[in-house]
Amino acid sequence: MSSRELDNANPTIFAPTTLHRRIDGSRNSKTKLWAESVSSDEEEDDYGLGGYGQGQDREEIDAEEVYDLLRSITDPEHPVSLEQLRVVNLEDINVAGNRVLVYLTPTIPHCSMSTLIGLSLRVRLLRALPPRYRVDIRIKSGTHQSEHAVNKQLNDKERVQAALENKHLLSVVEGCLATAGKRGSD
Amino acid sequence: MDVSRIIRTHISTAELNPPQELVDGVSGGSVALLDVVKALGEYLTSTEDEVRLKGLTFLSNLLRLINPSKVNRQATQTLTNFYLSKLDDFDSLPSALNGLTVLAKLPTFDDAAAVEVYKGVVEDVNMKSYAQATRHLVYVLFDTLLATHRSALKGMGSAFVNSYTKMVDGEKDPRNLLLLFSMDRVILLEFDVKDHIEDFFDITFCYFPITFRPPPNDPYGITADDLKIALRGCMSASPYFAKMALPLFLEKFATATGQSMKDLQQSMAACFPTYGAEAVGERGTEIWEGIKTEILYSSDTSIEAAALSALESLIRTLYPTEQTTPTGLAQDIIKECLTILDEPEKSQALAATKILAALLRASPSAGKFAISQTLPKLFRQFNSPALPSHRSPILSTISSLLIAAQSVYGAPDTFRHHAVEKSLEPFRDGLMDGLREGLRTAGLKAPAIRGAVALVEVPGFWNRTEVEDIVRGMDEILVNDEDPEIRPEVINGLTSISKIHPTTIESITLPLLFHNLPDQAPGVSEATARDKYRSILGSLSELCVQPALFQTLVIRITTKLDLLSSTPSKYDTDESMGEADYKECNIAYAWDLLNTLNGVIDAKLQSKHIDVSKYFEQLIPRLFTLVISAAQPKVGDVKPLFSDRRLLSIVARVLETMMWELQPERQAKQFAAVYAGFEKGDFKGLVHEPSQVASSSSPLRTAASVSEQDLIAVYSASVQGLKADVSLPFDSAAEYLSSKVHWTINVARDIFQVRYALEMICAFVNKREAELRDSLETVLGRIWEADVQDTTKHFEVRRRGLLVYLHVIKALALLRQPLAYSALIKIIEVLSLSNLDPDFVNEAAKGFGVLAKGKEKGSHLTAKLLYAQKLWNFVLPKLIEGDKDAQGKGRIVYLVAFASLLPLVPASLCLSDLPTNLPLILRSLSLGNPPQRANAITSLTSILETENMSKEVDQILHAQAGTMVEGLLKSALVEEDMPSSGKVRSAAVRCLSTFPDVIRFEVLHSTKPLVLKELGKALDDPLRSVRKDAVECRAQWYRYGQAT
Repeated sequence: MSSRELDNANPTIFAPTTLHRRIDGSRNSKTKLWAESVSSDEEEDDYGLGGYGQGQDREEIDAEEVYDLLRSITDPEHPVSLEQLRVVNLEDINVAGNRVLVYLTPTIPHCSMSTLIGLSLRVRLLRALPPRYRVDIRIKSGTHQSEHAVNKQLNDKERVQAALENKHLLSVVEGCLATAGKRGSD
Repeated sequence: MDVSRIIRTHISTAELNPPQELVDGVSGGSVALLDVVKALGEYLTSTEDEVRLKGLTFLSNLLRLINPSKVNRQATQTLTNFYLSKLDDFDSLPSALNGLTVLAKLPTFDDAAAVEVYKGVVEDVNMKSYAQATRHLVYVLFDTLLATHRSALKGMGSAFVNSYTKMVDGEKDPRNLLLLFSMDRVILLEFDVKDHIEDFFDITFCYFPITFRPPPNDPYGITADDLKIALRGCMSASPYFAKMALPLFLEKFATATGQSMKDLQQSMAACFPTYGAEAVGERGTEIWEGIKTEILYSSDTSIEAAALSALESLIRTLYPTEQTTPTGLAQDIIKECLTILDEPEKSQALAATKILAALLRASPSAGKFAISQTLPKLFRQFNSPALPSHRSPILSTISSLLIAAQSVYGAPDTFRHHAVEKSLEPFRDGLMDGLREGLRTAGLKAPAIRGAVALVEVPGFWNRTEVEDIVRGMDEILVNDEDPEIRPEVINGLTSISKIHPTTIESITLPLLFHNLPDQAPGVSEATARDKYRSILGSLSELCVQPALFQTLVIRITTKLDLLSSTPSKYDTDESMGEADYKECNIAYAWDLLNTLNGVIDAKLQSKHIDVSKYFEQLIPRLFTLVISAAQPKVGDVKPLFSDRRLLSIVARVLETMMWELQPERQAKQFAAVYAGFEKGDFKGLVHEPSQVASSSSPLRTAASVSEQDLIAVYSASVQGLKADVSLPFDSAAEYLSSKVHWTINVARDIFQVRYALEMICAFVNKREAELRDSLETVLGRIWEADVQDTTKHFEVRRRGLLVYLHVIKALALLRQPLAYSALIKIIEVLSLSNLDPDFVNEAAKGFGVLAKGKEKGSHLTAKLLYAQKLWNFVLPKLIEGDKDAQGKGRIVYLVAFASLLPLVPASLCLSDLPTNLPLILRSLSLGNPPQRANAITSLTSILETENMSKEVDQILHAQAGTMVEGLLKSALVEEDMPSSGKVRSAAVRCLSTFPDVIRFEVLHSTKPLVLKELGKALDDPLRSVRKDAVECRAQWYRYGQAT
């Protein structure tokens, strides 16, 4: 069936990583004392009967949230998520202020798909992060033969723009992104 | 009846459907069919083609309608011959075929005639020259002949089969093919086709694989799948196909992709059993190669599934019984899989596992052999892995095989039993060791649980001790493992096990879990301990739904609650924690305990367990003791645990549910005790230990303390759980109601008490409407005049009066009582006074939210059918009218009332008058109050999500789409001049994400850039949940209008 040889026909699959449940340090200990359902089933009432006010504390975007945006993107070669292939890892995502830095780990050092995967990550973050963020996507150091070239290509605005004007390329990226909304759930 | 006149008129006016009177005449016997034919004679024999055709059509139409018994043998014969003579007449053919089809169904139509007709058609009709509709008629006639005179056609032997294959050759229309395929299958199955198999091969396999794609909005509704399944039925109908079909399949492997590859695999799966072991075995290796590629390399899971089913079919065909020795192909397959499993962490190892599992499912002999080859190797690898990380995939493989074994041996109607096949028997010890180790080792727990549960479910494999061993291992995880992902797996596993071995769970798991529940709540800083008890309670809440385990839960939880309530309120050991904090911890713990109980009761009622009411005596008096003793006046500044309002609320919930489950007599007794307690201060009949509750005066008296008054929550719950036919412990329902109304308006301290009192009044009126009917109007009138209308009264009194008034209306509206509507008019009238009394009018408008709540989930109110429609249809025109008459700001209140009432009605009702409702909904999007906007958005979403909307609705929505999007965008963002809430923003974003699926792109394509830009701001929402919705919504809009 395959007209084209795959770069990596038999990649290592990692047992589906456990769904990260947010370890919530931001909430104060008082609310933590109560199971979440206590306050949520006291719906705020239209006519002013009871109800607890809703917390309006800002929940900042963190590495975990960025990871959540990326984990379920499909690999261009296999029907497997980037999370399962460990191409993106929570530890390799850094968020500081308005900057996001993502390191991706190709499954093999000569993987020609790295650029495409990087492009998919970039498009996803372009669409899913507020415009104030500056996103850097890099190959994890020492995991790819032409690391430097790929990095350059991925972080050159004009080259990314040009790539996205290529209809075929865009449709491949859209294909990879079709599953991105699953966010780790099956 | 003048038959000839009727016919003359009809033929000359070209009205070819026979009149009813003629049909009745012939059917009833008053008109002879012969006479009709005679009268038609001149037309039937006319030399003018057009006239002849009309006559013929008229006759065929008449034949179709009349009673079949009126066509005698002779008439059948004559008519058959007559029609046969028309077959070579191009224009007359359709009518002739129609007529013959009717005749062929008659009992008077004999085998000889069938053969004659068939031959006539074959000789005279040149299929290629006719349109689809006519060809279809030919096939329908054939189909009828096949159904009614199959043996006669069979008797024709080769003559039939030869001519048949020629007739249907070259057909292309899917409508005809569907019919043909079903006929082909019958002939292939029942006729002697061995010598003609090539011809049949040509007329069936030429369509394979089917690439048909129905045109959009296909009126005939034929799908590619219909055709594929029908064709598959033909292909798998005859074993003689094997010689030609198998090479064809092999050839298609090279070219088929996507859907046709899936079709190929599924067709093979269907064909192999018919083609037989001998034929399939000859090409077995080549077939396996084709199947293998799709399992190992396919990127499409549905093709992989099809390939696995083809493999199963292949193996089942080759090795059907336990006696067939698994030599040859099976060995090769297993060998290949074992080689792949040398690298257990790779993606192909997953595929190899699926292949082995398919072998096990397909054949007793090949399956057993596969197990015997695979498990020893896997055990070896598991015990000395090349890399430690390989152990998890190895155990997963073992578990997948066990799950396959479970699906074979544990299926309810299976023919295969492990006691007979004994495929796992040699590995009993190895399996137990591996699984037990897996249950103990981090990273291996999930696959170990799955495998262990599968083995428990293989009937008779493990004895009691072995199951207990496994259950202990799983319990260990439940109590000690902090990984939140494993717990649900364990719970699912234990729940499955508890269905087979309930006593094991009861005697091992439950005691351990309860033992690990603390008697005292962990302190504020002990988050881990808190997570642990919560996790244990979560486990219990799922396990104890089982009837065998529920009793233990009730006993243990009430004991814990007793312990909590009796602990001294001083906490000396931990100085860092204040007493208030400590108490808060205990309250939270008690709440969690009660919530667990409540959740299990709800789950049991949902699954219709009947044992719930049995536990009333065990549970309810204890709960009453806890809350009542806590509310009694105390010396000093002590505030007992169970006087907390959150605990009262959850106790009230349990109480209402349990009350509702009681039998009427027991309910009456219980309510009498409740009444004595709350009205007279005599709690003896209510509590578990009267000694703890000193008799006092009624907690509802004017001078009662807040804690005492708070007991209204449990009182209210008892009333809400009361059924309509239970006798009451007092004489006058009206007086009782009045006293509650008075208490609500004048005595209740705050909103907590008012809310329970209102629910109590609503439930009482709803259930006792018959007893109250005569006095209700007076009661309502008094509230309105004395409390609501009197502007000299305190605002809070007027507001409470209004709420009572509304709750009574709600109770009546649920019953569709006329009083509800007449009383409601007063409130609608008040809306016009927004200049004079703005605050109060605003309250009145918001008050429609009370009515909108209707019968909420879990509520025991009685609601009649269509009550919401009736209420809506009554209120809406009045609001619209008021809105029209009002000026400027005065209109807003009507909009507020509209938006508040909106949740009452389902989308279907909104849709029924969309031109009226949609503008109001759209205007409501600009209201200031977030909940009201949320109502409007929710309605809009459900309107947009309605399937199969009518053309008119579709038109309106498309016309308004731009305005809707604009309005929603405003609510989706945090803006300075607009109060907002996470709920409303989330609702707005979610509503926006429905547009790409509902509204055609050309309508909104100019809006897309704006939406994307604005949603870009929503991505920065302060709340994470809103951001998540916004990301999904924006992705939808990016895809909107893109070619797929």
